[in-house]
Amino acid sequence: MFRLNLKISLRNLWKNKGYTFINIGGLGLGLACCIILLLYVAYEWGYDKQAPDFEKTYLVYNHQQTSAGVFSHPTTPGAFAAEAKQNIPGVSRAARFSYPKDGLLTEGTHVFKKSGVYADPDFLKIEGYDFLSGDASSAFSQINTVILTRSLAKSIFGETDPLGRTVKLDNKEPLMVTGVIKDLPGNKTITFDYLMPWALLEKQDPFFKNQNWNNNFCMTLVQLERTDLFAKADAQVRQLYSKHESDKISEYTLYPIAKWHLYNNFENGKQAGGKITQVKIFLLLAFCILLIACVNFMNLSTARSEKRGKEVGIRKTIGASKKALVNQFLLESLLMSFCGMLVAFVCIELCLPYFNRLLDISLTVSYSDWRLWLALIGLTFFTGIVSGSYPAFYLSSFEPVIVLKGIGKSSKSAVSVRQILVVSQFVFAVCLMICSIVIYQQLNFIKNKSIGYNKDQLVEIQVQGDMFKNAAKLKLAKDKLLQSGVTKHVSFFSMSISEGYNNTFAISWPGKNPNDKTLFDIRSTGYDFMSTLGAEMIGGREFSPEYADSSNVIINNAAAQAMGLKTPVGSVIKWGDTDVKIIGLVKDFVVLSPYKKVDPMVIYYNLEDIRYILVRLDPAVPVNAALQKINAVMESVEPGFPPAVKFADDNFETKFQNERVLGSIANWFGGFSIFISCLGLFGLALYMAEQRKKEVSIRKVLGANPLQILTLLNKDFMRLVGIANLIAFPLAYLIIQHWLEGYSYRIELTFIPFLIALVLSVCIALLTISMQSIKAVRANTVDALKYE
Amino acid sequence: MITLKQIEKYYTLKGAKSYVLRHIDADIQKGEFVSIMGPSGAGKSTLLNIIGMLDEPTYGSYKFMDQELSSLSERKRIEIYRNHIGFVFQAYHLIDEMTVEENIEVPLHYKNISSSERKSRVADLLDRFQMVAKKDLFPHQLSGGQQQLVGIARALAPQPLLILADEPTGNLQSAQALQIMDLFRQLNKDEGITIVQVTHSEANAAYGNRILNLVDGVVTNNS
Repeated sequence: MFRLNLKISLRNLWKNKGYTFINIGGLGLGLACCIILLLYVAYEWGYDKQAPDFEKTYLVYNHQQTSAGVFSHPTTPGAFAAEAKQNIPGVSRAARFSYPKDGLLTEGTHVFKKSGVYADPDFLKIEGYDFLSGDASSAFSQINTVILTRSLAKSIFGETDPLGRTVKLDNKEPLMVTGVIKDLPGNKTITFDYLMPWALLEKQDPFFKNQNWNNNFCMTLVQLERTDLFAKADAQVRQLYSKHESDKISEYTLYPIAKWHLYNNFENGKQAGGKITQVKIFLLLAFCILLIACVNFMNLSTARSEKRGKEVGIRKTIGASKKALVNQFLLESLLMSFCGMLVAFVCIELCLPYFNRLLDISLTVSYSDWRLWLALIGLTFFTGIVSGSYPAFYLSSFEPVIVLKGIGKSSKSAVSVRQILVVSQFVFAVCLMICSIVIYQQLNFIKNKSIGYNKDQLVEIQVQGDMFKNAAKLKLAKDKLLQSGVTKHVSFFSMSISEGYNNTFAISWPGKNPNDKTLFDIRSTGYDFMSTLGAEMIGGREFSPEYADSSNVIINNAAAQAMGLKTPVGSVIKWGDTDVKIIGLVKDFVVLSPYKKVDPMVIYYNLEDIRYILVRLDPAVPVNAALQKINAVMESVEPGFPPAVKFADDNFETKFQNERVLGSIANWFGGFSIFISCLGLFGLALYMAEQRKKEVSIRKVLGANPLQILTLLNKDFMRLVGIANLIAFPLAYLIIQHWLEGYSYRIELTFIPFLIALVLSVCIALLTISMQSIKAVRANTVDALKYE
Repeated sequence: MITLKQIEKYYTLKGAKSYVLRHIDADIQKGEFVSIMGPSGAGKSTLLNIIGMLDEPTYGSYKFMDQELSSLSERKRIEIYRNHIGFVFQAYHLIDEMTVEENIEVPLHYKNISSSERKSRVADLLDRFQMVAKKDLFPHQLSGGQQQLVGIARALAPQPLLILADEPTGNLQSAQALQIMDLFRQLNKDEGITIVQVTHSEANAAYGNRILNLVDGVVTNNS
């Protein structure tokens, strides 16, 4: 029986090629969307879960009291790790590590600019890296050592064994290669190309030996012996700060490293979601799109029930039970979903590179992973059964007498189920459409919102090598850049212009409330800062060679408001124990997040702290030529270091990554879901045109004009799309309003996205149906009537 | 074999009963060849459907091989189809996607008959109806008469006791119709299969040994 049914199913598919194409195409597309989204969800879900003992590994979070509430971040004092390991029972390992930072590795004449991390030896064991050569226990036994990733080792040393060879860090420190590890997967929060011992960092910069509990400059990983020790260990960790300091500003907690990536938002010291929301949305989206594709299948199979009904009738009269028929139809839908899966695979292989580029990630389909196959088989069955069960039960319940006689062509209830299904498809599609329009609007709004400076034609060059803490060299670079003829202004900054943090509580002013814990961003700069950045002074002046500015500061508007000074310019405030005078007031400019209010900032003049050279390009010079010139200048000033030149707007763009991802995904998958829905609509219209051929012919004979007939045929479908829009509007409003509430700067919702969605969905649907109804109108009247 | 007592069938339309069959009493013995005749709309097909258990009477008692059918479960009824009844339709009702051979074989699948037994029965039938050369053709590649032969072969495959034929020659040319009717007579005479047919034609009715005349749902003549 199975073989016969399979044969019949295949013949059926072959015979109705149009429906087969629509069905398999729709299912394939739906499955492809679903699988790509699921791959993405799995990728996000797997973040930081590669280490064998990741469940016992915790990141130390620091919750600091500020006047704006509790500020939570994963940076700790350097003394934390040692203290935790010694004094907290249950802690088996603890390691300090740094944020990844670009550095220069030189071997002979080859120079590699790659990202490196400093870490304690315990870090290697906690993370459980796969050593290809060398081993975790001895790799960091000496200070001047380095562990390379496989791909870096390959590009430096080729195929020869790098173990024991030497590379130079930043043209200074010779480092011996003591290990090579496998390349890190893309879904790790801390990634690097090479890893160096923390001791090396301390040797390079004695500041990092600092044992003060008030200075947070590293991240700390803690591994417990068992997970059930967590509560006790966490309780002790919470006490650590007050054990050493009396001001109660900080409190530490242990946070599972597996949650670092997805649950990364803290509000007032409490966990408040994070990227997990987005991942959940994508998971939901994945299944909704699959369901839309399944609905197509249900609609088309039930719409064609008249044809299949006869077969059901015959089979029943020759002894088929309902169960046998249900099985037969399920077999057919499983076959269909299997074919859909094959189509999906072609789509995925074609689209994945594009999707990866879009989201800037590296998803791969690992065919050797049994979990993948399990998921695929599961999805195939899920799709087959979901899409096939309703048609199977619907069709198999036909009474032979009725279908064999041809009475009651399609019963009323089936039509209404089909209508509900079409409406729900379009509700979903319209919702997605509205959401993606609003996301796009919001993104544009934020992007075009004034950020307080002009980020176009602004370039920042990282200070490398000897230039750091070398005022003469910085000035030389500035002069040369100005002379090159491609720049308008040049200035300095202590951080990248789009980098946040680096802040202090230690600012006080006349009349400051002793409990006030406002955090001030602190930045150092040089002359010509305002003209280079394109920021606006509200009052006072900027730093200038005509004055001695070493104890003067410029503050931003937010700082002036935080201090509540009547005439900020000219006031004297305290920074630590030093008196500084405010000489200028600058309009707020965004360094951290364009979505949030700008933090108070204090800008001082000290070339020792400069890490970036800011360059305002001459708009008259073509960008490429300007970049070439700048590179040449920088190489002449600091030979041996490839110039690190970046555009400010590129850096700024990365701040929109999350929204951009959400926007593109909503856009693309919204588009796909509309396409799939329309594919289904097309199939229904195809069927409708066939079914009403006779009616149309009779009407034509009776004198109806083509437009009247077209209206008649399209009316029913358009009503469904209209209803779908009506349902989708409030739904989309609620969803998108909720999303917008997460932003302090947001657009006002207008009727425009709704109007666009309405017009677009109606137009697309009309076009789809009309392709069929026009054919029905044009068909030869005689042919249709003769047949009967 | 079949005993109908006081069979009534009506539909309720807006409160008014619209009768299709009234007070039908009939006995059909094993080995009989009965023709149900009557004008259009007389309820012939409904009666046949009730006999074939495709339809249920609104009232009355129907005994099939001494079993009261109204008390049977769906499963039992399917059991009876499978074992005792073969249907032949005016529009042949072959499954379009199946070849001649497969069409004849399907009912055997539902009866869970072993593969070898299936093959031999189908081969016998094909042989008998001289369809061997056409076994791999699809219904639409056959003439009407040939399709009806396949229909009959399919009905015979489970070796039924009763064949119910609803205007089996209605769609056929006279020569083909004759062939089919001859076949029915032969089945009835040589194999003792009970046949109940619905027909318009006096000539076809003459093939049977008894005629049930039906006018407006009432048996007017049972000869």
